Amino acid sequence: MLLAGGQGSRLNSLTRDIAKPAVPFGGKYRIIDFPLSNCTNSGINTVGVLTQYQPLVLNSYIGIGSAWDLDRKDGGVTVLPPYTASGEVKWYSGTASAIFQNLNYLKHHQPDYVLILSGDHIYKMDYEKMLEAHIEKGADASISVIEVPWEEACRFGIMDTDEDMRIVEFTEKPAEPKSNLASMGIYIFNYSVLEDCLEKDNIIPQSSHDFGKDIIPRMLEEGKKVFAYPFKGYWKDVGTIRSLWEANMDLLDDMCGLDLFDYTWRIYSVNPNQPPQYIGQHAFVTESLINEGCMVEGKVVRSVVFQGVTVKEGAAVKESVIMPDAVIGKGCHIEKAIVSPGINIPAGTVITPDIQGEIVLVSEDSIKQFLSC
Amino acid sequence: MLEKRLLGVIDATAFHEGLQELTLHRSPAAIPFGGRYRLIDFVLSNMVNSGIQSVAIFPKYQYRSLMDHLGSGRNWDLNRKRDGLFFFPSPRLDHPVTGVGPLDHFAANIDFFKRSEQEYTLITNACTIFNTHFFPVLEWHIASGCDITAIRKGGVSLGMYLLKTSLLRELIETRHETGYLSVRDAATDPNSPLSLCSYPYEGYAAMIDSVDTYFSASMDLFEPEVWNQLFPRERPILTKVKDEPPTRYAREAYVHNTMVANGGLIEGTVENSIIARGVKIGKGAVVRNCIIMQKSKIEENCIVEGAILDKDVKVERGAHIKASGKKPYVVRKGTVQGAWMNS
Repeated sequence: MLLAGGQGSRLNSLTRDIAKPAVPFGGKYRIIDFPLSNCTNSGINTVGVLTQYQPLVLNSYIGIGSAWDLDRKDGGVTVLPPYTASGEVKWYSGTASAIFQNLNYLKHHQPDYVLILSGDHIYKMDYEKMLEAHIEKGADASISVIEVPWEEACRFGIMDTDEDMRIVEFTEKPAEPKSNLASMGIYIFNYSVLEDCLEKDNIIPQSSHDFGKDIIPRMLEEGKKVFAYPFKGYWKDVGTIRSLWEANMDLLDDMCGLDLFDYTWRIYSVNPNQPPQYIGQHAFVTESLINEGCMVEGKVVRSVVFQGVTVKEGAAVKESVIMPDAVIGKGCHIEKAIVSPGINIPAGTVITPDIQGEIVLVSEDSIKQFLSC
Repeated sequence: MLEKRLLGVIDATAFHEGLQELTLHRSPAAIPFGGRYRLIDFVLSNMVNSGIQSVAIFPKYQYRSLMDHLGSGRNWDLNRKRDGLFFFPSPRLDHPVTGVGPLDHFAANIDFFKRSEQEYTLITNACTIFNTHFFPVLEWHIASGCDITAIRKGGVSLGMYLLKTSLLRELIETRHETGYLSVRDAATDPNSPLSLCSYPYEGYAAMIDSVDTYFSASMDLFEPEVWNQLFPRERPILTKVKDEPPTRYAREAYVHNTMVANGGLIEGTVENSIIARGVKIGKGAVVRNCIIMQKSKIEENCIVEGAILDKDVKVERGAHIKASGKKPYVVRKGTVQGAWMNS
């Protein structure tokens, strides 16, 4: 069950018309390609995608799931939007309520285990290994955790575990963290336990119907066996403009641990069908990722460039992310910026970070401020 | 929809001596082109973009790679319940018929032509690089009242013919009486009782029948005029999806006037070349005026000039490959070029 209804409001105008999981990433992907590809690579081929906020682009992108080999006769991908029942519209008010309202989807497939994912993170993970650990421990639920730096632990849901990785305490954003194991928002439940927990939670009026805030703490109170599954590798929440930019820049670093070139664990996406990129006579491209359909006549340094982008003569793009079909005009200078899809930046525009070094998001609205000065 | 009345037939039986170096393991229709395509993609995409919903492909030799490439036709939106993509390999492996549209080969699959409901049939070769909409040709053919329309560019035949499906069936059935071996024979017979016409095609078109025409058509891609004609947004050339990541340029990369497909890792110098999907070019290597096909690997400090590297070629560290004279030097699929094998 892939939770893809998030608004991602801290991504500002990037998520004005699309849900966060549909935000472009890494030169050719959208964020949701990562969990969906992880599913198909882990051998999971029944996936429910729960959508709510601005679902149009996401729905048409997922389609029948053929890009991820999830167009199956049995199972496959199913988009699960909120719906009306008995005369009232039931919006997904929290992560748990979203799953609760789709219990009939789960019942239909009669699973032994349910994997709950969020569509907001960039990582590669074999969920099958997590399931093996879950079964081996005889757990009721497992939560995937990653070590975060101690000073950042207060920003996450933190697990305190015993030697056997059984979770003894779970605190959401603790002021004084007892451990540095943070929840990655990836859960495996025994189906019967999940069904039971969700039904109980539904009738508690003060519950916010959230896995991290309500379901997991209550399971711990009841003495259920909840285990932490430690994950090692690259994992990043791309919830802000800066973290989205950082995650893109990480791809240019050999040591980052997220290898897009690993053919045994491919990240699939919907193919835009464009011709090869053309690197011009006077172009200069270094330390960058460039996708098909680009026309580069200028300079591109340490940047991630999506399909169909044009970088005209004399333009310089540095440490930036240029999203699909944007046009960088002649002689522009773009530094530390994320350029939104389809933006046409007129010749000679200079976009550099402010004194604090904040990453600039160039959008339909924000571009005006660079033109006037 | 007028387009729906058109049946597409691609003759992929051709055998060109001049292409032998590139066709040891594949039919000419499956020769990689332009970094991410195969020759057949152009005519097949043109048919699909023109609204043709039923395409039959007639291959003869070495069609494994062609079948692998086309699959169910999904990448061309031809995996349909009604119509779609059909594949009719030749039951016999004797000499190829020179000329597009082998009637014997069609006769072996006459049921297909009997069952197809489309009123008109477009028969083409599989090895022409062009991008066009066939609708105006059909309109022209209907308006002219001709029996067979040949598409020509500057008077030269492009090996593409349009005729009524009923006439095609008749040509197949009467082939022994008429002595015609191919549709081309029927379309070029000076004593033909049929009315034969020419449709003047004016855009870019390059027929690939030798290593030289292959190389020069590849180099044509560097002309913006040709590029814009071949790859307009509204009529994309469709091909098999490979799910390669974007191409990565390392700090040492130095690339000019070059076409690069996805999945590449470029650490060296590349000029005036076409680099296919998943190619690796190592540090200090220099690649000039080359066509490098899928998954080939050029290791550190190599120099490769004026060469066509077929798929999966490995050029070992420090090797030099240079074409002597103007003819491109072809390195065969899957071979390893060591430093001691200087050509």
